[in-house]
Amino acid sequence: MSGVKLEGIVKRYGAVEVVHGIDLEIKPQEFVVLVGPSGCGKSTTLRMIAGLEEISDGECRIGDRLVNRVAPKDRDVAMVFQNYALYPHLNVAENMAFGLRIRKTPKDEIAKTIAETAKILGLTEYLERRPADLSGGQRQRVAMGRAIVRHPDVFLFDEPLSNLDAKLRTQMRAEIKRLHKRLGVTSVYVTHDQVEAMTLADRIVVMADGNIEQIGTPMELFNNPANVFVAGFIGSPPMNQFEATLEDSDAGPIAHANGTLIQLHGQEALRGSAGRDVIVGIRPEHVMLSAEEGTASIPIELDLIETLGSEALLHTHVGDVPFVAKVETHGEIGHLQGINALHVKPARVKLFDKETGRAIGQAA
Amino acid sequence: MAMVDKKSSAGTETVVPKQTLAKRLDRIQMHIRREWQIYLMLVPTILWFIVFLYKPMYGLQIAFKDYSIFRGIAGSPWVGFEHFGTLFTNDQFIRAVKNTITISALNLIFAFPAPIILALMFNEVLNASYKRTAQTIVYLPHFISSVIIAGIVITAFSPTAGIVNTVMGWLGIDPIYFLTQPEWFRPIFVGTGIWQEAGFGSIVFLAAIAGVNPSLYESAVVDGANRWQMMWKITIPSILPTILIMLIIRIGNIMEVSFELVILLYQPATYETADVVNTWVYRQGLQSGQYDLAAAAGLFNAVVAFVLVMTANTLSRRFSRTSLW
Amino acid sequence: MMNWNLYSRGDKFFAIMVSILIGMFTVATLYPFIYIAAMSFSSGFAAQAGKVVLTPIDATLEAYGYILKDPQFWISYRNTFIYTIGGTVMSLLFIIPGAYALSRPQLYGRRTWNLFIAFTMWFNAGLIPFFLNMRDLGLLDSMFGIILAFAVNAFNLILLRNFFEAIPQSFEEAARMDGANDFQVLWKVFVPLSKPAIATITLFCIVSRWNGFFWAMVLLQSEDKIPLQVFLRHTISNLSDNDEFAILQTDAGFSAETVTAAIIVCSIIPVLIVYPFIQKYFEKGILLGGVKE
Repeated sequence: MSGVKLEGIVKRYGAVEVVHGIDLEIKPQEFVVLVGPSGCGKSTTLRMIAGLEEISDGECRIGDRLVNRVAPKDRDVAMVFQNYALYPHLNVAENMAFGLRIRKTPKDEIAKTIAETAKILGLTEYLERRPADLSGGQRQRVAMGRAIVRHPDVFLFDEPLSNLDAKLRTQMRAEIKRLHKRLGVTSVYVTHDQVEAMTLADRIVVMADGNIEQIGTPMELFNNPANVFVAGFIGSPPMNQFEATLEDSDAGPIAHANGTLIQLHGQEALRGSAGRDVIVGIRPEHVMLSAEEGTASIPIELDLIETLGSEALLHTHVGDVPFVAKVETHGEIGHLQGINALHVKPARVKLFDKETGRAIGQAA
Repeated sequence: MAMVDKKSSAGTETVVPKQTLAKRLDRIQMHIRREWQIYLMLVPTILWFIVFLYKPMYGLQIAFKDYSIFRGIAGSPWVGFEHFGTLFTNDQFIRAVKNTITISALNLIFAFPAPIILALMFNEVLNASYKRTAQTIVYLPHFISSVIIAGIVITAFSPTAGIVNTVMGWLGIDPIYFLTQPEWFRPIFVGTGIWQEAGFGSIVFLAAIAGVNPSLYESAVVDGANRWQMMWKITIPSILPTILIMLIIRIGNIMEVSFELVILLYQPATYETADVVNTWVYRQGLQSGQYDLAAAAGLFNAVVAFVLVMTANTLSRRFSRTSLW
Repeated sequence: MMNWNLYSRGDKFFAIMVSILIGMFTVATLYPFIYIAAMSFSSGFAAQAGKVVLTPIDATLEAYGYILKDPQFWISYRNTFIYTIGGTVMSLLFIIPGAYALSRPQLYGRRTWNLFIAFTMWFNAGLIPFFLNMRDLGLLDSMFGIILAFAVNAFNLILLRNFFEAIPQSFEEAARMDGANDFQVLWKVFVPLSKPAIATITLFCIVSRWNGFFWAMVLLQSEDKIPLQVFLRHTISNLSDNDEFAILQTDAGFSAETVTAAIIVCSIIPVLIVYPFIQKYFEKGILLGGVKE
């Protein structure tokens, strides 16, 4: 198995630069997910690794080999496309065999590989069918099968689940994860769906506007977002963000947001930066209904309750900015009606510089 | 309090300095190494266009030369616009230009609406198999060669044996030798065109009708409209863009009368109304060997046609953009 | 939306009137063919007397006997097959790879090449320069010349190019990652995916080759090279110009008219045989040709 190493990767179309110099090292057998809103350069980056787009600047290595000028077919990578790109005129077996036939693999070897792969993917009974006669999930599996039979060094996935309905997507997500565990092939996976990224990735790369915003494990990104963008992108519902000014008090620093005061015990590093403009970030999941020792409380007015079953979303606002809290219901929502304050542990309150958007005062 | 700006970094577009020559050459080399096969595939087609369509354009210079076969295209002496002077004082050529425009105008008036009316009528036929059969039959003449079409016309309009004169005989009308009568050439020619192409031409309009949103008709039914009203208030306005685009294309092709059929149907007695520019070019050039004069006439025709087509293209582009609904 | 039971009386009347008009137009379209067929089986005497209207009068096969005995008929029939098959194959050999290359976004100068091709649809040098060019190329009176000189047609090329352009790029990319080169991508992926478009073009080629007349008449001199259409034209003009023929042959049971009709029937039959296959495709094909420059 090989890793993939990107150094200063740039992509330009004419005078327009869409990827601004990316550094990323993917370890052998690692499952890395590139995630970001559309147009952030994640697909372009994947296609540069595949060799489908020329690399304008920088170096791309697969294993130890510099592949900038290596044709896609010689890179030892396989790709699963968003629309699967299954050939409608070939049946499942022929679709999977296509690459092997082009490479003049002996016939009996092809047959063996196809049979094995079909078994892994549960496609054995469908080998004679045409793609048009398969369900969405089956097509998705054939697309993966076509990549697997080649025994590549690296798998590339370009939004492979975005054409499936929600239920099937959850199911296929688990299947991809299992497959990766079983085959252990280095994988690069592109998606705009942060849930997919969180569930699949060993490490997530969050991209925006052609830059990498943060690289880290799912939990690192969730707990310690490096900036407001990542904070807003990872997590559902997204982290609540509102502007505030820091003030000093006897008990420690306080964030003053338009009349709401939030105590920031423990963030002693902030002492003395009174008057600094910040953005306060609080995850909906980190809000508690009852006060505990040392928690800061936020007085609220309830706008709306959305019931999800075991959980409920409380919609409220801090100043003019909407604020959402996610709380457990224990099968009961009556007690939520009269709530007039929410509580949060100071350590859970994230602060970002208002100018740069970067996280402040975190022991990273 | 203002909304929190979630964008963290600067904009996307950055102007990149021009690449160095060495880097450019390097990229071209890499491109050719990777993509040489598509150039190999393109070469035969491009060569064909050069040899069979662009080389004749080079040969068009004989329109400005005193061309002789022995001296060749390049060797013949220039005479400037002499041939054009000859053309515009030549009664036969001027007659041919007039005939071309007249026949096109008649086609525009009589042949152009035919496929539209046919398509509108097909749209009202309820019985699917009746409709299918009728369509199959009316599309057929499009695939029949002009020689056969002319053969049928000649036979049908023959003075003694032809069905037309037979029927006229029943009605007590004296036989007419239609194909030798100048006043009959244009009606026969335009009528033949309608018979041959109206059915096939209706396909485009039927497709446009098929694209009309069915809920328009449903709401019209609810409003109590009858089929006749729906045709005028829904179908025709909906396909108007298609009609206009086809009309513009037709106007762009005014200089193109299907001269193959003219050659097959006309005779010296009907030149007066039948002779068009291309048939005149054919007789002057290929039959009488006046290549340079004929080429000049052909060039005149091609330039007028080019200007018309380009104007039509521009109009249709402008129109189809604004007409997107 | 169209339900007979929901039609008002006025609508029903309208629909019936339209159906009758359509029927009349259809019959009018069909009638000339029936008339010609009836003529071809009639006696020369009946034909000349203008008695043929709908069915053969004094039914006879003499007109067919006359043309089928003519060796030139068979030679030209054979030639038409050669031009049709050879010309269609030649067209596809140029058009398929050409359209593929023109459809590739990575082709350098793609816009220019496409303009280079589209320009020939708008501007044509005309009959005389084309003829002189054929003479200079030594392709007068040459069967190969006819096959080659009309091989490519900008309309068909652009039609197929548009179809190729509409194929999702990931098909090509997947094949490339699987190790296919351009020829393999074209042959194993694009051609099978484009069967309807290629069938349409093939049929257009077949029809235009089968019907081709003018240039065959101008460029070919040798009797043993002319196609059926030119033979047909020669026969029709010979017959109608030659009064002696008419007088001479009436006794023999056929006339200029019946012989003409018989040749027409013979040359239409192959068109009628392929027509059902063509019909499947041309309605689609004509819409594919929504030519964008």
